Amino acid sequence: MKTLGDIVEAIRRFNAAVEERVAEVRSDPAKGQAVMEEWRVLRAKVPEVETPTGLRLPRLALPELDEPGAVVKFLQGEGLPGKFPYISSAYPELYLDPIEGPRTEEPTRLFAGLGLAEDTNERFHLLTKNQRSHRMSTAFDGPTLYGMDSDEPGVFGKIGEGGVAIDTVEDMEKLYAGFDLTAASTSVSMTINGPAPTILAMFVAAAKRRFGKDAAEKLRGTVQADILKEVQAQNEVLFPVEDSLRFLLDMCEHCVRKMPRWYPVSISGYHISQAGATPVQQAAFTLSNGFAYVEMLRQRGLPVDEFAPRLSFFLDCSLDVEFVALARVCRKLWAIGMRDVFGATERGQSFKLHTQTSGRSLVSAEFKNNLTRTALELLLACLNGTNSCHSNSADEPFTTPTEEYARLASHAQSILLEESGLFRHTMNLLAGSSGMTQVERAVEAAILTEFETLDRLGGVLEAMEQRYQRSAIQAAGYRYERQIADGTRPVIGVNRYWSDEPRPVPVLVRIPDERKQFQIDRLQDFKLRNAERALVALARLTRVVRDGGNVFSELIETVEYCSLGQITKALQETVGRFRPLV
Amino acid sequence: MLTAVPLCDGHDSAITAVNLELIRHGIEVVYLGFHRSVADIVRAAVQEDVAAVGISSYNGGHIEFFREVADGLGKAGRREIGLFGGGGGTITPADAERMHVEGTDRIFLAGASFDDMVGYVRERYERTVEKPEHLEAGAPLCLARMITCLEEGMILDAPSRGSAKVVGITGPGGAGKTTLIDELTRQYLVEHPAHRVAILSHDPSTLHQGALLGDRATMVYAQDDRVFLRSMATRGRQGGLSPATGPALAWLSSAEAGFDLVMVETVGIGQEALPFPDRMVDRRILVMNTDYGARLQLQKILMLEVADIVVANKQDRPGSDAAALEIRRHLDAIAPGKPLVRSVASRHGDAGVAELLKLL
Repeated sequence: MKTLGDIVEAIRRFNAAVEERVAEVRSDPAKGQAVMEEWRVLRAKVPEVETPTGLRLPRLALPELDEPGAVVKFLQGEGLPGKFPYISSAYPELYLDPIEGPRTEEPTRLFAGLGLAEDTNERFHLLTKNQRSHRMSTAFDGPTLYGMDSDEPGVFGKIGEGGVAIDTVEDMEKLYAGFDLTAASTSVSMTINGPAPTILAMFVAAAKRRFGKDAAEKLRGTVQADILKEVQAQNEVLFPVEDSLRFLLDMCEHCVRKMPRWYPVSISGYHISQAGATPVQQAAFTLSNGFAYVEMLRQRGLPVDEFAPRLSFFLDCSLDVEFVALARVCRKLWAIGMRDVFGATERGQSFKLHTQTSGRSLVSAEFKNNLTRTALELLLACLNGTNSCHSNSADEPFTTPTEEYARLASHAQSILLEESGLFRHTMNLLAGSSGMTQVERAVEAAILTEFETLDRLGGVLEAMEQRYQRSAIQAAGYRYERQIADGTRPVIGVNRYWSDEPRPVPVLVRIPDERKQFQIDRLQDFKLRNAERALVALARLTRVVRDGGNVFSELIETVEYCSLGQITKALQETVGRFRPLV
Repeated sequence: MLTAVPLCDGHDSAITAVNLELIRHGIEVVYLGFHRSVADIVRAAVQEDVAAVGISSYNGGHIEFFREVADGLGKAGRREIGLFGGGGGTITPADAERMHVEGTDRIFLAGASFDDMVGYVRERYERTVEKPEHLEAGAPLCLARMITCLEEGMILDAPSRGSAKVVGITGPGGAGKTTLIDELTRQYLVEHPAHRVAILSHDPSTLHQGALLGDRATMVYAQDDRVFLRSMATRGRQGGLSPATGPALAWLSSAEAGFDLVMVETVGIGQEALPFPDRMVDRRILVMNTDYGARLQLQKILMLEVADIVVANKQDRPGSDAAALEIRRHLDAIAPGKPLVRSVASRHGDAGVAELLKLL
C-alpha cells in the first residue's frame, strides 16, 4: 500500500536529486560543457513569432543562463512546458496563437443549468452558438444533487432552482437534444457527486437511445463524482462512505474499460476552498484525495497507465498571494507522486486542470467591483496554466447570473487570451520570477507538512473519519470571516471605502409553479408506464450490490425503467444512509 | 438555539461560522446539520425546547421551506419558538418581506455582520423558562420543558419508575459511540414496531458557557417520531455528564413517559473511570476502538471493570483482531464471562450491533 509518507519522501528525494545533479555538472567540466551545449541547441530551436506591432519574440521564453548548474536546475527542477515535472504547463503549448490556421479550442467552459431539461437545453444552444467546439457544463438542482425525485415531499420549492431538474433518462435525452454527443467537438461536463453513478448511467443510456448501442465509447466529457471532497466539504453524500466509494470506483472501472474518452472523476478543490479552506489546504486535500483514488483503483487491479490519464482536477482561484503559483506546485507534486510512487508513464503524470474564479471572493456591495476581482483571478488562473476555465458573473452574489453579466464574464477570458498579448505569443512569458519561486517554495513546504499530518493520522480516509479535514476547513473559514469582520482582511466596499450606494435590486430567475408541477406530472407518468419493469430492475440492481458486481454497469440498465429517487432509495435500503460528521 | 440547513442543501460554511460565533457569546447551539427536512427541524426544536431556530438556505425554495417550518412549529404547539435565517444573495429583500409576513422573525441579507446577528439573537430570544403548569411526562412538549427546567437548576420530583431499560454508553472520543447508538436505534425500531426510545446525549460546554451540540446531526435514524432525543451541555460538570442528567433520566424512565429503551451517551471520556453513579443506569456499556488494545493503561482497566458490556468497535480496522483478543484476555482475568461485543457500527445492519441489542 502506498501512503502519503511515500509521496513526501519521493518529493524530497526529487528535490535532493536535482541539487545533486546541479553540483555534479558544476564540479565536472565535461558534464557541464555537455549541458551548456544542450542548452544552446535548445535555445536555437525556439521559433520566433511576430506581434501585431512587428516586434519579434521567441515563442518560448527561456531564462538567460550562463552556467550549467542553473540550466540543470531549470530543466530538471522546473521542466520545460509539457515536460516533467510540468511546473509551467501540462502541455508544451497552451493558449498560443496557432502558427497557421485558426484557433481550435477555447478554454472557456461556462456552467449552466436552470429549470427543466428543455430550458437548460435552450441555454446550452445559446452559449455554444458560433463556437467551434460545444463544451457544456451542467448544473443540477438541489433535489437532483441529493438523488431525490421532484415528487418527493418537501422539495417542490427547489425544483429547477439553481440548476436543472433531472429525474429520468427521458429528461436526460431532452437536456442535450440537438447536440451530437458522439462528435469529437462535443464534450459534456456534469457537476454531480452523490448520485453521480446514476446520473452518468442516465447520460449513457440517453446517448445509446439517440445514437445507437455503440455510442458510449465515443462520449467525451467528465462527471465530477469526487465523493471524498463531498464528505470533507460539500456535503452531497447519499450512502455510507465505504459504499459511496465502491459505487464511484465501479463507475471508474467501467469508464476505463468501456468509455475511453470519458473522465470519470474530477478531483475537486473548489468546494474545499469555498467551504473556507486556505489555498494550501485546498491544494493539500485535493492532491491527497487524488492520490487516495489512485491507490484505491490500483488495489482493484487496474494498471496505473490505464486510469491515470483519465483523472482530472478542478481548483478555485482567488486573490490570496498563494494563487500566484498554487497550480504550478500542484502539477509538480502530482507528477512526482505519479511517476516515482505509482510508476505512471508520461501519459499518467500530468495534472489536467479546470479552474473557476472564486465565488466566495465576490460581494454584493458595489458589485461591479466583482468584474475587477474576477479579471484578476482569471489572470492568476492563466498564469498558472489552467487547461480550461469558468469565470463567475459579477452579479452572482445577489442574482442568477443575467445574460449581460454572463457575457461579460465570458468576454473577460477572451480579452485576456485573445485581445491582450500576454498569452498569445510566448509560452512562460511571466514565469520564473524570484517572487514566484519563493511562493512556490513556501507553498510546497506547507503542502508537504499537511501531507505528513494526514499520514500521521493514518491517511486520507482515516483522517476524514476523525473529521480532520472538516475541522481544519471550518477553522480556516471562521478565521476568514472574522478577518473580514475586524477589518484585517480588506474587502473593498465592505470594510473599506464603502459608500451609501443603494444595494442593487436583484431580479432572480424563479421557476413558475406550473413548470415545477409539469416536471412532477411527467415523472409520475414515467413511473406509471414503467411500474412493473421498475420492480424487476431494482431487484436486479439490489442483487448486484449484494453480490459485489459492478453496480455502474447494472445502473445503465436500471435507469431505463427507474427514476433517480427510486434508485437512490433502493440503494439506501441495501447499504444504508450517509451519517454526516458535521 | 437550533441551527440547520434545509433539505437538498449542503452549504454549511456560513452556518458553521454563525454557530461558532453564537457559542462564543455563551449560547448553546444544537446543530442539526445539512440536508434536513422540515419534520426533522420541527421535531428537534420541540424536543430540544429551543428558544429559536436559525436556518441557512442557499439552494432556493426558501419561501416554501421557512413557511413550512413556521407552520410546523405552530402545529406542534410551539408557535413561540423564534425563527430567523439567511442565505446570502439567494434571498432577496422582497423574499425576506414575504417570509416575515409568513412567520419568519428576521432574514439577515447578504452583507449582514456577525454583530448584527448575535445582537439580534441575544436581545430577541433571551428567555426565562417556567415550570410547566401540569406536569405530564408523557407529552413531548411537557417533557422537553421539564428537562429545560432541570437544566436551569429547578427541583422537580419525578413520577414512579416505569419498565424502561436505561443504558449508559461511554468511551473515549472517536470510538464511535454516536454511530453505535444510531445503528442500535435503527435496529431496535425495526424489531419493536410499537416501542419508543429516548436518547440523552452530552457535549462539553466551552469556557464561554456556550456549547456545540452536534450529535443529532450524526444520528440520522434517531430522527423519528418514536424517538425522543435530547442534547445536553455539561455546563461545567466533570465526568462527561450534566448536573441535570440524573433527574432527567428519572423523568425519561418513568412509567408516565412511556419509553421502552432509554440511552444516555456521555461526552468522550479519557482519564476517569465510568461516569455513571450508582443506580443511574441499568447497564453500563464501554465502547472502545481497537487501537486501545496495545495500551491498556490503568484507567482503561478501571473502566473495563465497571462496565457490564464492552464493545470493541471499528473491527474492520487492521489490528483489531489482536486488540480484541487482548481485551478478551484481560476480561477473562478480572471478570470471566463479561460480554465483549465486536462491532462495525458504521455498517448498515451490523451483526455486532444486533448482538449487543440482544444482550440488552
